[in-house]
Amino acid sequence: MSTEQFFLTAWTWNPLVLIIAGVGLAAYLFVFRGEGRPAWLLLALSVFVLTLVSPLNALANGYLFSAHMLQHILLLLIVPAFFILSLPRSLSLRWRPRFFAHPVAGWIAGVGAMWFWHWPTLCNAAVASRSVYALQTVSLLVLGILFWIQVLAPREEERLSPPGAVLYLFSACVTCSALGVILTFSPVTVCSIYALPVGDRLGIWETIRTGWGFSPEKDQQIGGLLMWVPMCLIYLGAIFAQIPRWFGEAPAASPATQRL
Amino acid sequence: MNEIATVLDRAGILTPEQRQHWKMAWLSTVDHKRIGVLYMVTGLVFFIFAGVEALLIRLQLAVPNSTLLQPDTYNMLFTMHGTTMIFLVAMPVLFGLANYIVPLQIGARDMAFPRLNAYSFWLVPFGGILLHFSFLAGGAPAVGWFAYAPLSETAYSSQPGVDYWALSLLVLGIGSVGANINFIATVLCSRAPHMTLRRLPLFSWMIFVNAFLVILALPVLNAGLVMILIDRLLNTHFFLVPGGSAIMWQHIFWAFGHPEVYIVAIPAFAILSEIIPVFSRKPIFGYEFVAGSTVAIAFLSLGVWAHHMFTTGLGHTIDLFFVASSMLIAIPTGVKVLNWSATMIGGRLRFDTPMLFCIAALVQFLVAGLTGVSHASAALDWQTKNSYYLVAHFHFVFVGLIVFAILGALHYWIPKTSGRMLSERLGKWTFWLMVIGFNMTFIIQHFLGLAGMPRRVYTYADLPGWAWMNMLSTIGAFFMAAASVLFVWNLIISLLNGRKAGDNPWHAWTLEWATSSPPPHENFHYLPPLRSRRPLWDVAHPDAPDPVVGSRGEIDQFKPEKNKTSIVAFIMSETGFFLVLILAFLYYNAAPQAGPNPHELDLFKTGLFSLCLFASSFTIWRAETGLRNNNQGKMIGWLSATIVLGGIFIGGQGLEYWHLFKSGVDVNSNLFATTFFTLTGFHGLHVCVGLVALLVLLGLALAGDSKKRPWPGLDAIGLYWHFVDVVWVFVLSVVYILPRLR
Repeated sequence: MSTEQFFLTAWTWNPLVLIIAGVGLAAYLFVFRGEGRPAWLLLALSVFVLTLVSPLNALANGYLFSAHMLQHILLLLIVPAFFILSLPRSLSLRWRPRFFAHPVAGWIAGVGAMWFWHWPTLCNAAVASRSVYALQTVSLLVLGILFWIQVLAPREEERLSPPGAVLYLFSACVTCSALGVILTFSPVTVCSIYALPVGDRLGIWETIRTGWGFSPEKDQQIGGLLMWVPMCLIYLGAIFAQIPRWFGEAPAASPATQRL
Repeated sequence: MNEIATVLDRAGILTPEQRQHWKMAWLSTVDHKRIGVLYMVTGLVFFIFAGVEALLIRLQLAVPNSTLLQPDTYNMLFTMHGTTMIFLVAMPVLFGLANYIVPLQIGARDMAFPRLNAYSFWLVPFGGILLHFSFLAGGAPAVGWFAYAPLSETAYSSQPGVDYWALSLLVLGIGSVGANINFIATVLCSRAPHMTLRRLPLFSWMIFVNAFLVILALPVLNAGLVMILIDRLLNTHFFLVPGGSAIMWQHIFWAFGHPEVYIVAIPAFAILSEIIPVFSRKPIFGYEFVAGSTVAIAFLSLGVWAHHMFTTGLGHTIDLFFVASSMLIAIPTGVKVLNWSATMIGGRLRFDTPMLFCIAALVQFLVAGLTGVSHASAALDWQTKNSYYLVAHFHFVFVGLIVFAILGALHYWIPKTSGRMLSERLGKWTFWLMVIGFNMTFIIQHFLGLAGMPRRVYTYADLPGWAWMNMLSTIGAFFMAAASVLFVWNLIISLLNGRKAGDNPWHAWTLEWATSSPPPHENFHYLPPLRSRRPLWDVAHPDAPDPVVGSRGEIDQFKPEKNKTSIVAFIMSETGFFLVLILAFLYYNAAPQAGPNPHELDLFKTGLFSLCLFASSFTIWRAETGLRNNNQGKMIGWLSATIVLGGIFIGGQGLEYWHLFKSGVDVNSNLFATTFFTLTGFHGLHVCVGLVALLVLLGLALAGDSKKRPWPGLDAIGLYWHFVDVVWVFVLSVVYILPRLR
């Protein structure tokens, strides 16, 4: 299959994903009735659907570790963040169990998800078994929400203070970078199922290996680098968002017109 | 020697009583102002050393095929020049400046920990002497300031120069971390009540942000230095084949080395942000952006080190990612340049020497930034790496930005430290000689580099155009030397006969100008009201004060306890150190190797001893509870239990070592053994340090000291002890458990 053919045909129209997205949108509109910020929800749902039906999903499903990593990042960091941003500003999330309310729990949820699902056995199992894969997808979304609530909770007073959030996000970034560094430079294969493929459902190995130039080593390297650099940049972006929050509480600096 | 005392006396630095014992008054001082001056004087002394080295290098390169210097001598000179300029000139001078100014700017009496401050300072001369002693001990290091392996290994550098280099950098690194933990604690815990963090002058803010960068980056170098020392002194091969990796050294060095550039650049930005508004007679344009972009620069700089390694063959993929992320740094630095320019636009500019140096720094830094972006492109980097183009680039950063900013800062703040103005006329001469000399020396080197002249080669062939360009560069260097001599001369005559400065010679707006020049020992007799970022403007213009930042009488609620703060900062720093050692362990043990291996370790016994260590986290928590409930007996009991449990753990580890040694496993048996002993050994060392601290606490408690309230030591040491336990969780999993799962 050529590259074009692949990108045109490799859409996995998983009805469950579409139903979840549709029901989610309807429920959101019904519950918040125009109070929320539906643009963010539409973004969240679009990324969610695209991640799971586009050719990215086909590639992640047994072909490329790096595609799997991209999917992982989108499901853990992007979709939950957009979802929380879509909630109405007045919504209190205080009802959540106290244990999950603790920043340490949120941090472990967000960072642990990365380490947990990249344990070689689990990484392989998620590709080999559809039910493990479904479990992984759901867990990433849930853990991502638990992570981001600490920083993005709709109510200002339920968020970490800006310095606290900086520490929270920076330590997450360092920890993920460390795993990314390990994956990038590891001389052994972390997720062996990608390096030793069992089958070729779509008949695209030829295209991937020779056309795109993805050797198994390079594939793992890109996966590691995705986790090391762009993923860390997402955390850093959230850190930079703390700066206007920090200074926003104070009135603007004196106007430049004031001179001696 | 009495003349020196007279000078210091006349400058108002010594009180009449101190004059009797002026040497002791300086040697034993814990006053932040004196320590600041000591830092800067030390920096100046080493600047002369490194400057002479630079002149020798330029003399050698003045003509083609020169035989003035032996190749080996030349190698030593550029190594010592680079190392000295960065670790013994730029860092001490900037830290000294910050030491002097930050407590004054935030209305504090002194640094948070005056004794730690003195200790951190004295490590600088100690490290400097250690480094320079190598000249007498068989030859200075000749491996470049980044000491690439395997050249820096014993097989290729058998003289002890590299050992002295590594030891001295270790000493200096510890001093820098100490000084910057102190800055963090000072800014967080010692501010005057109304000096909220949002009202911080930009200089103090940037030193504060920079301090985090120092405590996070230096331990990475320290870990690398420890590894190269173990390689050299214990015959292991972290960075040598078989098994070891020379590239690993580069990763470690540049993971430190890239932030290091910003560690010396951010204080320079801080200086510019302070001086440019004062001499433009306008508040800084976009305070929030200048402050915020510093945070962005600091964080980004920690993750882009691989762009120093494009030519090492990391591969196209890795290069691509780091090209992109490196170019991102241009955004926040660009924001800063725009803000400084916008501050000057429409201002009533006064071109006194401090301002001239800052404007020059801004212009030169722009050039440095542009060549920097060109290096971020891997394709271009391949062509210009290791050529004089690179030499020109980083000298534009280090001299054009940093040295110029430092000179601006010295002309600006020396009137405050001595009470005497520097001569404006000599200052202008210094400025023009410096700027002309600098550009003569380094602009031309861009072209030399593009023409293919390699750096670090002691001479060159008489190729067309090379001779005159190099000669010009050498002449420029002597202009800069003349400027430096002129500056020192200016300093001396101003101390002797300078015009009296008064409290606020530049009509500046921050708190250091609200006290006398030089400030009294206790810094302030009273503080003006603090409502905005320019308290002295508000005092001078009650009719048109700056907008209030925060609420009018706002007192900062965020004032953590200083012992705890410093320990938290220390733990952050130590995390970096252990992270490197743990990653190194994982890397070196990814593939099975011949000889001893993790399966030979006794997991059961270690597990038992580990339980003792983990239990000690519980006991120290009980001790803290006892202290909180005012139950001395309980506190002392649980504290003793903690010490016993920690002791059992150390005993257990000793036993394990003993068994390994007996069965012939040595630190240099193979890389598993090397990384095992390094990682567990350094953890053990930290446990021992914790035990000493706990024993001191126990002694104090037995002597009744803990009846005092507050008694913050236990909480602080408790945090450290928990940290040591958490590190062991990771060491235990990585060393003992993980290999068994595969």
